[in-house]
Amino acid sequence: MPSKSNKEDKLRSRVSEIRAFYRKSGRMPSYSEVSDLTGLRSKNAVFKFIGKLVTLKILEKDKKGKLIPLTIANPVRVLGTVEAGFPSPAEEELVDTLSLDDLLIQNREASFLLKVSGDSMSGAGIMPGDMVIVDKGRSAKSGDIVIAQVDGEWTMKYLRKRGESVTLVPANPKYQPIKPKNELKIAGVVTAVVRKYK
Amino acid sequence: MQDSQPLTISSWPQAILHLDADAFFASCEQAIHPELKGRPVITGKERGIVAAASYEAKARGVQRGMRLFEVKKVCPDVVILPSDYETYSLFSVRMFEILRRFSPDVEEYSIDEAFVDLTGLRRSFHGSYGMIAEKMRKAIATELGITVSAGVSLSKVLAKIGSKHRKPSGLTVIPGREIHLYLEKLPVEKVWGIGPNTAAFLNKHGITTALQFAKRDETFIKKHLSKPYQEIWHELNGRSVYPVVTEEKGSYQSISKAKTFTPPSQDESFVFAQLSKNLENACIKARKYHLAAMRIIVFVRKQDFTSNGVEIKLTRPTAYPVELFGVLRRGFQNLYQPRSLYRQTGVVLSGLVPESGIQYTLFDDTTKIEKMARIYESIDEISRKYGKHTIQHGASLPTKLQAQHEGERGDVPKRKNALFKGENKRQRLGMPLLHIKI
Repeated sequence: MPSKSNKEDKLRSRVSEIRAFYRKSGRMPSYSEVSDLTGLRSKNAVFKFIGKLVTLKILEKDKKGKLIPLTIANPVRVLGTVEAGFPSPAEEELVDTLSLDDLLIQNREASFLLKVSGDSMSGAGIMPGDMVIVDKGRSAKSGDIVIAQVDGEWTMKYLRKRGESVTLVPANPKYQPIKPKNELKIAGVVTAVVRKYK
Repeated sequence: MQDSQPLTISSWPQAILHLDADAFFASCEQAIHPELKGRPVITGKERGIVAAASYEAKARGVQRGMRLFEVKKVCPDVVILPSDYETYSLFSVRMFEILRRFSPDVEEYSIDEAFVDLTGLRRSFHGSYGMIAEKMRKAIATELGITVSAGVSLSKVLAKIGSKHRKPSGLTVIPGREIHLYLEKLPVEKVWGIGPNTAAFLNKHGITTALQFAKRDETFIKKHLSKPYQEIWHELNGRSVYPVVTEEKGSYQSISKAKTFTPPSQDESFVFAQLSKNLENACIKARKYHLAAMRIIVFVRKQDFTSNGVEIKLTRPTAYPVELFGVLRRGFQNLYQPRSLYRQTGVVLSGLVPESGIQYTLFDDTTKIEKMARIYESIDEISRKYGKHTIQHGASLPTKLQAQHEGERGDVPKRKNALFKGENKRQRLGMPLLHIKI
């Protein structure tokens, strides 16, 4: 079964076909032309369709049944199935919102998920079982939470840079800060933590 | 010497880049399992053969298609992983997205290959085509953690020669003036699109290298070769014939669905059920793209890797399994040999035509067909909501008697078991998961 929005889309595309015809030829189409434009094959279907457009005040019929353009000539914003002169303020306000995805993920191509197993960052609110989002494209700055490989071991810590020296600092007094002896490889910067309760 | 003359003197009438990920599946695995970097890794555990091998594994003599016990012999410390197509697809999509930051003209040629039209972009990037290509390679390496090889030249065929020239992690730029230098030593059969038969034919005319082919006069080419090879000849001479096609694949020539199952089976109803499921899957895809098939190919593969297949012509195009079970059954009975072990079955739908243009014959029961269309519409709707194969044909049911791949537990990719709260078997977050223990 076609859903409601599907029906609306269809209606909208049919209306725009008729609008395009009107703009191009400077007159409204005849019934058989409407049938060609919309793909409605029977006269009855076209008649019903026109009837719908009349109730929506998109166009009207004269005494002989010929079509007269109303809003179809100068389209205003189409909201839902009903054409209205003023857009709903609620919809206007929703134009510039962020989805949770946009909020949590800045660089889509470079972001990865990671499941936390340890508790060394519990002071920063990152608990075992949490999901962190790791951005591999970003260069790490002092103060960032990073995923790093230190002398062969993987860890998640605060990155602290003081001049030349680099330290990885945990957010849990149970653990000691780490000073890399030989090697420090930063795999990415933690940009968000997600915990779902239910 | 005539050979030292350039084929064309204009260096960049247009610039086409070909990009090819290095050992793509294995590289993705190394990117999400950083402890595997530098180690020989192969994927394809669930199939029992090598689907992809990392460069470390290739260096030890591992090849695509090798059986796993052979792999363990030549490379005992190899890491064998089940294929995780979900993750590979995510990487693939990201790779193309990164390329689109540079140019809108990106052709997704395969899961790990792309063509990009770079013509005219030097101005906006304040640098050479080579520099743009290098920037692309760098972005993919830092953001995705995989390496790619690229070639930049005047045509698709030449760009492809470039990307193969230095692999892995190479970049080869071939401007017009230098084409001949790269074709000189390249055997003609290594050119994209030239198969062994054409190569043998060309050899008989004294053409063994790509350069000899490119330098042959047009009358010879037109007289002896068909259009595709004439086009390759133009492309080799730096005249781009094949455009970079940016449209998403909206249609298909054929749809093929095949599945390997382990352990292999000799049970007739089980093997037929596999085919039935292949058919259902192929039809689902056909319906998704509003296509219907004129021909169907049925094939089965035995444990010793020998395959058998039949092609059947249909009286009317269709994408409804229920209309095809008859021919499927007949095809299967032609192929099936009792007491043989089978490891794979497959169905190919070909001769695809748009569903809307189907002409019914006089003998078709159109009301019945319309009813069937409604049933399948509902099935597709339910599948969208509750997952594929929520409603299945009875013939496919025996597939449930045995998991697709039994045996070791590690045969399922890690991602399928590492679920977050809210994820389920069917739906997971569309982001790759790093397997790092922290």
